[in-house]
Amino acid sequence: MISLSATLAEPQSFTLVERLLFFLLILVSGALFWRRFGPIFHKILQSRKDPDFRLSPIARRAWDFFTEVICQTKVIGQRPLPGLAHAFVFWGFCAFALVTLNHAAVGFGMGFLDPGTWLGRAYFFLAAAFAIACAVSIFGLFVRRFFVRPIWLGKKASYESGIIAGLIFLLMVTYLGAFFTTDSAPTARLLWWIHTLTLLAFLPLIPHTKHLHLVLSPATIFLSRDGFSQIPPLVGDEDFGLVTGKDLTQLVSLQAYSCVECGRCSEHCPATNTGKLLNPKEIILGVRGYLNEFGPTSEELLLGKHNSQEAVFQCTTCGACEFQCPVGIEHLPIMIGLRRGAVNTGAWEDDYGAKLFNQLERGSNALGISALERDKFIQKQELPVFDGSQEYCLWLGCMGGYDPKGREIVASFARVMNYLGTSYGVLKKEKCTGDPMRRLGNDLLFQQLAEENLKTLAQNKVKKIVSICPHCVRTIQEDWKAYGTPPEIEHHSEFMARYAGRLPKQNSDEKVVFHDPCYLGRYRNVYDAPRTVAGLAGQIIDPPRARERSFCCGAGGGLAFLGEETGERISDVRAQELVATGASTVGTACPFCNTMFRDALAASEAPPQLLDIAQLVARGLPSAEPNLNGGPKA
Amino acid sequence: MKIIVAIKQVPERDAQVRIDTWGKWIDESDVQYAMNESDAYALEEALQLREKHSGEVIVVSAGPERVGTTIREALAKGADRAIHIDCNDLNQRDALGVARLIADAIREENADLVLTGLQSDDLGYGQTGVILAELLGVPHATLILHVEKTDTGLKVKRELEAGWFQEIELPTPAALTIQSGGNKLRYATLMGIKKAKTREMRVVTAAALDGAPVAVLEGIALPKKQRSTQIIPGDAKQAAATLVEKLKFEVRVL
Repeated sequence: MISLSATLAEPQSFTLVERLLFFLLILVSGALFWRRFGPIFHKILQSRKDPDFRLSPIARRAWDFFTEVICQTKVIGQRPLPGLAHAFVFWGFCAFALVTLNHAAVGFGMGFLDPGTWLGRAYFFLAAAFAIACAVSIFGLFVRRFFVRPIWLGKKASYESGIIAGLIFLLMVTYLGAFFTTDSAPTARLLWWIHTLTLLAFLPLIPHTKHLHLVLSPATIFLSRDGFSQIPPLVGDEDFGLVTGKDLTQLVSLQAYSCVECGRCSEHCPATNTGKLLNPKEIILGVRGYLNEFGPTSEELLLGKHNSQEAVFQCTTCGACEFQCPVGIEHLPIMIGLRRGAVNTGAWEDDYGAKLFNQLERGSNALGISALERDKFIQKQELPVFDGSQEYCLWLGCMGGYDPKGREIVASFARVMNYLGTSYGVLKKEKCTGDPMRRLGNDLLFQQLAEENLKTLAQNKVKKIVSICPHCVRTIQEDWKAYGTPPEIEHHSEFMARYAGRLPKQNSDEKVVFHDPCYLGRYRNVYDAPRTVAGLAGQIIDPPRARERSFCCGAGGGLAFLGEETGERISDVRAQELVATGASTVGTACPFCNTMFRDALAASEAPPQLLDIAQLVARGLPSAEPNLNGGPKA
Repeated sequence: MKIIVAIKQVPERDAQVRIDTWGKWIDESDVQYAMNESDAYALEEALQLREKHSGEVIVVSAGPERVGTTIREALAKGADRAIHIDCNDLNQRDALGVARLIADAIREENADLVLTGLQSDDLGYGQTGVILAELLGVPHATLILHVEKTDTGLKVKRELEAGWFQEIELPTPAALTIQSGGNKLRYATLMGIKKAKTREMRVVTAAALDGAPVAVLEGIALPKKQRSTQIIPGDAKQAAATLVEKLKFEVRVL
């Protein structure tokens, strides 16, 4: 049994031969590490500079580093049990930094942490606690990978992971063993040497395996872009997005080499989960494969080598991958970058896509309907026209102006605003915000649409916009910034949540299952507002995948306009999940989700009713409107 | 194969048009413009022929300076060079006048094939292409959906009424007016627009060309909104059903 006075045993002296051997082994191990890591490092540095990269705000970066690296929030948050195990291994490594440095110093007779002192003892015992947690955790992770075998880790269990796990386990055991012996015992010397050899074997293995993330991912997280799905600007006359190796930027290359292949992105990807070719993990590994084979100065096309065009255009840009990636990979700029490369050069040939683009080269909306129909709708609903005197501009969007379901949502929301006495107006003309063009990578058309709309808004002196469509909100607020200063904008869920206290609460125990739209949740970080609003109409329940982990409806990324999907329909899968909750009503907050579910729910036997949050609220309003724009009824 | 495509810039499909104070044209101050639809199909046909048989595609367009954007769009989609006939009174010229402008501007090119759209989306005369053929002294065919090059000339597919098609052959040089919908249009790309900057756009002034109008445009008018009364026959049930139908699909108030 270990006594209270016990402490870490360290060999007190090494022969000259031992020291020389140790020195030589360090050199060999370091050289083997660099032989593999050097070229990778070089490839990252050789990549094109990110034109929009700025180190500030440093506080945001420091915070991301603290939460995601030090506290392991994403690792734990999205997969609690293995996440915690990983965190213990990581924290163990952190605690061992000092121990390992001292361990090596001892080999040269220069140990600086004396196990005999109070401080040394305390630290070595602390490290021992971490060593136990680390050893247990790595054993657990080993069992998970080789016996539980979740499919997201890949079909083949990688034997390198087994070796690495073994080495880590051995490191911990040899460290702990030294507490049970004395400085002069041959066992101490043996444990020291085994620990040393394990360390020196571990080092060169790092860049050879996905354990490269040990070195790279802290930097990847620290250097990641500011904001979700930040699409970098195109610079100069030769930049069309990610076309060839030359277009890969340092951030893209760094991220490609950082992937730890945990498969969280695939686990949440709506395309991967419905039998499509796209697998976000494979896209990132595809970029890595390209870098390994061709390098960042190659003029070979990126698509058609390690990544396929078909896969890239199956992305709904729901952002589940980017949101949960624990090593700071930003999938959307890469995915959209590859699309830009294909669309901006004309390499993407798709009948539906070309039709959509042509419609917007000549017309005003993505649905290809005459703008006269929008005028008729405005007249029929008696929507006030924006003349600069009103507080809000109600942005209709393509769905709100042309789609029958979208129009119902607009009509309901207008009733809510009338009830609240909000002054608002709609623009006489509006063009598509360019959301589908942005996500599909058509920069020419996106720029035209953004600029024309910005001009219209400026002419009309619009200060504040409210919209029923999260896609419009996101595109206007974030993506238009590249071409001007958009007015303030909010989603109708945020608007109504602010006035929830003044809106009638319906006495109903109706169960409403709420579907989080990707562009409202992950893109805008708004989860509670729509629930507050829908809560006025009934009891809110969440489907199994909700909030940050919401499962896409299948419409985003321009896919609503691209014809039939391969594999299962994403909207069907999600609709079934919503129906299975037993709720009598499906609540949505996005006209695209609404239209996708309208079709998908029709297939179920007794479909629940499908209502936007604005419709849920409007249902509780007194049927006759006493005075338009005149404030709430007494 | 040297192909010339005559394209026109017209008000965008969704433009809200108002008549200007002179009553002879629309108020252009707030209107956005786009390539005439059937001209876009003519351009597509030309580009596809060039891709198959090599050669050159030249676009020609008449109008004021703003026409440059539509010309650049055509260059961006793949046309090799362009001729811009600079004139500020295009709307006041009749089809003969416009055809003369174009004929004079392109005569020296001696093209194998001249394509135009079937008709313009704004004035809709449907004559410019045909008169152009006459002025150039080449055979023509109208309402063409598909063009095929043969050893002796061209084989073309025409659209007739009631779903019928006609295939005819004609020698080159020739002029064809292209119907919308025969091909799938390619989209303009960023790379195309950038490349278009380096392509030749020759400007010729209308004054140097012959194009005096024979027919003079006196005025334009918006369609009158009509009020009409209809008596719906049949018994009450039948009449009600017809009424609902009409309210739904004709008047669209339901």
